Amino acid sequence: MDPILTINILNVVYEVSTLAVVVLGLAVVFGLLGVMNLAHGEFVMIGAYCAFFIQAQNLPFLAAIPLALLVCGFLGLVVERLLVRPLYARPFDTLLATWGLSMLLREAVEAVYGRGFRSVATPLTGSVDVLGADYPSYRLLLTVVSIALVAGLVWWFVRSATGRRIRAVVNNRELAGSVGIPVTALARNTFVFGCCLAALAGVMLAPLLPVNPTLGLDFILKSFFVLVVGGLGSLVGLISGAGVIGGVESVVSAFLDRTYGYTTVLIIAILFLWLRPNGLFPRT
Amino acid sequence: MTKIFNPISRRRFVAGAVGTGAAVAAPAVLTGARAAGEFKMATFLALSGPASLFGPTQTACAKLAIDQINAGGGIGGRKVTVIPADGGATPAEAAKAAIRLMLRDKVDLVLGSHNSAVREAIVAALKGRVPYVYTPLYEGGECNPNVYVTADTPQQQVQPSISWLAKTLGAKTYYLIGNDYVWPHKTNEQAKKYIAAAGGKVVGEEYLPLGAPNKFEDAVTRIKAKKPDLVVITLVGGDNVNFNRTFAGFGLDKSIKRVSYLLEELTLFGIGAENSAGLYSAMSYFVNEKSEANTKFKAGFAKAFAPKPPPLSMLGADVYSGVYCAKALVEKAGGANDAGKLMAAANNLQYRTATGTAVMTNRHVVKDMYLAECKGTSFNIVESFKAVAHGQTCS
Amino acid sequence: MASFLGHSAALVAALALLPQLVGEFWAYTLALYFLYAIASLGIGLCWGQAGFLPLGQAMFFGLAAYLSGLSLIHFKDSWLLLLLLPAAALAPGLLAYGIGLLVFRGRTLSGPFFAMITLALTLLAFQIANSWNDVTGGFNGLKNIPGLPGLSDFTDLYYVSAVALGVCLIGIAWLRRAPAGVLWRAVSQNEQRVRFCGFAVQNVKAAVFGLSGVLAGIGGALYAPQQNLVTPQLCGFLLSADLVIWAAVGGRATLYGPAVGAVLIGILTADLRDEISYWEVILAAIFIVVVLYFRQGLMGFVEPPVERLWRRRAKRTLDGPARPAASGDTGFALDGVRVRMGSVRILEGLDLAIDRHGIYCLIGPNGAGKTSCFNAMTGELPVRSGQIRIFGHARTGTAADLLSRIGVGRKFQAPSLFPDLTVAENFNIGLWGGRARLRDLVRMRSHGWSSAILREAQSRFPFLAEEDRRAGDLSHGQRQILELVMVLIAEPRLLLLDEPSAGLSQTETQEVIEAIRWVGGRLNACTVIVEHDMTFVRELADRIFVLHQGRLLASGTVAEIQADERVRAVYVGASA
Repeated sequence: MDPILTINILNVVYEVSTLAVVVLGLAVVFGLLGVMNLAHGEFVMIGAYCAFFIQAQNLPFLAAIPLALLVCGFLGLVVERLLVRPLYARPFDTLLATWGLSMLLREAVEAVYGRGFRSVATPLTGSVDVLGADYPSYRLLLTVVSIALVAGLVWWFVRSATGRRIRAVVNNRELAGSVGIPVTALARNTFVFGCCLAALAGVMLAPLLPVNPTLGLDFILKSFFVLVVGGLGSLVGLISGAGVIGGVESVVSAFLDRTYGYTTVLIIAILFLWLRPNGLFPRT
Repeated sequence: MTKIFNPISRRRFVAGAVGTGAAVAAPAVLTGARAAGEFKMATFLALSGPASLFGPTQTACAKLAIDQINAGGGIGGRKVTVIPADGGATPAEAAKAAIRLMLRDKVDLVLGSHNSAVREAIVAALKGRVPYVYTPLYEGGECNPNVYVTADTPQQQVQPSISWLAKTLGAKTYYLIGNDYVWPHKTNEQAKKYIAAAGGKVVGEEYLPLGAPNKFEDAVTRIKAKKPDLVVITLVGGDNVNFNRTFAGFGLDKSIKRVSYLLEELTLFGIGAENSAGLYSAMSYFVNEKSEANTKFKAGFAKAFAPKPPPLSMLGADVYSGVYCAKALVEKAGGANDAGKLMAAANNLQYRTATGTAVMTNRHVVKDMYLAECKGTSFNIVESFKAVAHGQTCS
Repeated sequence: MASFLGHSAALVAALALLPQLVGEFWAYTLALYFLYAIASLGIGLCWGQAGFLPLGQAMFFGLAAYLSGLSLIHFKDSWLLLLLLPAAALAPGLLAYGIGLLVFRGRTLSGPFFAMITLALTLLAFQIANSWNDVTGGFNGLKNIPGLPGLSDFTDLYYVSAVALGVCLIGIAWLRRAPAGVLWRAVSQNEQRVRFCGFAVQNVKAAVFGLSGVLAGIGGALYAPQQNLVTPQLCGFLLSADLVIWAAVGGRATLYGPAVGAVLIGILTADLRDEISYWEVILAAIFIVVVLYFRQGLMGFVEPPVERLWRRRAKRTLDGPARPAASGDTGFALDGVRVRMGSVRILEGLDLAIDRHGIYCLIGPNGAGKTSCFNAMTGELPVRSGQIRIFGHARTGTAADLLSRIGVGRKFQAPSLFPDLTVAENFNIGLWGGRARLRDLVRMRSHGWSSAILREAQSRFPFLAEEDRRAGDLSHGQRQILELVMVLIAEPRLLLLDEPSAGLSQTETQEVIEAIRWVGGRLNACTVIVEHDMTFVRELADRIFVLHQGRLLASGTVAEIQADERVRAVYVGASA
């Protein structure tokens, strides 16, 4: 196979799988709580800054993972209690409140680290030969980890008892509560879990991104578009949404450039929002 | 501009503010009034945005120069105070800051190290009413009244380096990549001229938005497909770091040489030793340039900021020289108020720089230029070009 | 109005003197934030009045700024500017109106989707502005834009901005108090009721959005000559977000709130950003608190009490224009109508025809399809097959607002009205529906419309004469009656009433029965009532239709139905 084609395909897979990890947390929270957490991107951003912080302390890169999970898990806990739980009955206000939260987190990080771009060194340097094409090792590892993570979570969601409970609550909140599923605790844990997933994605992606306070904005929009295109609430929808958004951006970027890629994604999202707001796989 | 209302006294201002909304006006009271007799210099340095990794060295060098000048009696006997502003802001924000500095803080001079979009916005806002010294390398052509440029021009950066690289490396095919704004476009315009003159061919050219979180895997893949001999890079700051890392990450550094026109010690440090093979830079200053003046400058810098001096690079050294240029200019013109006198004084103006002295003609500077090859995270000067003309014709 | 004008005059005088007091720099700064304030007022209209949130208002501001900048560059000092600059301000309004029509078309729950579409659009606008180098100048933007001809000074520009802001405030103050404003607030509370009063809600919302586009356009068109520089950030996300924050903190539902927010918060931010490093964190926290607990914002503490002082309700002195004369046949016909929701069969080939005026009752066990029959007739449920004719014309799937205009009135099972509006305003929406033309909606005297039916209703139900009460404060029974009267004063020829006596006391029920009989006779209407209360049915019905499992089971007089074995079987079966 032509090595350039190989690289282009790997780039698309990388884009789609990492995007799916970011969206997964958002989608689980939305599916269960009906809450569109517009601050989800900021948790990715905080995860990335954790990686930067750890590296600045000359600690091993992997130490960033527990730190990010701790920071974002705690933040998620506080946010769920103060902003999300009191507003279950007011979905539009939740949207606004989490939007305000996203600004708050962005500005807070900016006040600490400034507006500048930070670089995180890649923990794994060099490249690997994939079918005759050189591909950066870390990027390849990240793709594999992302796919494994999404697959593992889907498997867990389908097979585990907690997964079944979550699905029960998604289907019918009152009924789930009445058969003894602890709905409030489950909702809290799910929200925290979504935040942790975002933080993990942030740590993993940090070496490949210009780490800056507005990083989350890009992710939340793309994630929202994935949910719009895929349809809110199903995993098939999530993966196909990530495929469409990540794939289109990556392919158009490969043939033209990033600006066109981004513009195309925006146009697709607007068309979906307007003409097919329930996405490709609507929740029944 | 005609003044309808006299500048108001502080007392009257407070009275007015109380009547109209004290909350709006109070901060102005805190910052508005300054002792007369000081020489107020506004500095637009990269405090935010993609170039903000240059901020610390710029700020430190400005401080060093001003402290030295104040120790020696200030500018024309007036003590220099600095009012910092963010040169990394968007052009519109920078223009508003320039208006604020001019109208409210009444600064005597503006000194800036930032991108050209911001420069154009500041020039338009100041309209020549306040002298403006611009220090970082740029695309050339800035001839607006009361603007003084100490920067490297493409004629100085690109011409000697391209001919040397074409000859020494035997580069035939070139790929141009830069941020989408005026400096990369104009610089590449010049570069294409010199590439053609050297018998080379441009096989690809692309621009990425400035200030966006850019990713480079597709650009690098395109470059890999085109297999050029030399990639000419006019990306700035964080983008330059990420591009070069991605470039080497995809293994392109093994076969393709690169030259970057905004690559100094800080950017190189960000790129990292493992990603810098076959990377060149062409500028008028490298920290390990071995002149006596530079050794003295570096010693002064290290002493001033002991025990932990911030990193030093060309963008800081330029600011240092720019401050001395401002001093020489104002003293020669006998004050900073008269644009005509200042512009006359700028002709053949001699001033102190980090590496010796420089002479200004056409409100630009003739310079010695260097071409360096990256060795790990330091530069190895491979060629010097003496007294390269700036190619500008400002009157 | 006099006090309102006096109020405005005082404000104008204060603004005129300001630059003399604060000097050139603050005149310049205020001028800039006045322009943002104008755009922020538009968010106040959309979010505070009509109840939908635009997150991409900077797109219109930026568009106008580019258009105005390009006009000034290419037609410097030409008389064409007299046309081009207003066009630059209006163009975003047209764009917004168009976007509004497309997005709001046929969708009731457009809230979050609308917000996200506008957000995506503003990002798209930024991309275009940032990369279309030939026209917009790309990242560097449009440079060296000439100022407005004849104005040279920062103080001159201040007056231009101040006058623009003043004119916009006066216009908005007028519209808020005019019928249009009442209609917007009605839309934000209950879109369905507005539609059933005969207003095409999507057009109302699109018009408000269009107006907000014009306001952003005025700000943007003046920004270009004032700042002499237009860059892509003007279309961007951050300015859009700032405009929303300013409107929220200032008070989105108040008149001055969005403008006060823009000027106060905007200037504080510009000044404090560098001095208090956590300022923007604090601001974000303030925004969250305002969204959650103080929806009225800063001006919410000041403005409503002041407004209450000089609010006077117009006296109902003149009858509104008559409803358009009746045309077509009487009554309606359903012919084999089928409706399904997913796999649930709701109507299974319902045939039902009434061609004479009179009072008819629709009965049947729960789930028989009575309310669904109404929903199918008024376009609320999609009809799979079959045909619906109303007044002799095919009306399958016709929108509720059109049906209302041709004379179909519907009262819902749970009272559907505008709880935060006064009783008077609730009546007025009913009176204006189908009667008011566009110009009536901007005239104050339309508040004084009355009608014979309204007067009669107020004498039958004395509580309805207390028109300054908030509709949400009425008791359940009173709200039932208020909604019924709202429907009646539109003078429909086909009245669909869904359990009008639910939750009423015995006396109230009796009064409602009399009112329905009186109105039916007076309007010569065909009245169809879904009802469970058999006393009610016996007393009113000329004829009864019995529905069962989505089909018509039987029809006839009260006596005939009572004697019908099949009907009895169904009711016994249903209760067993």
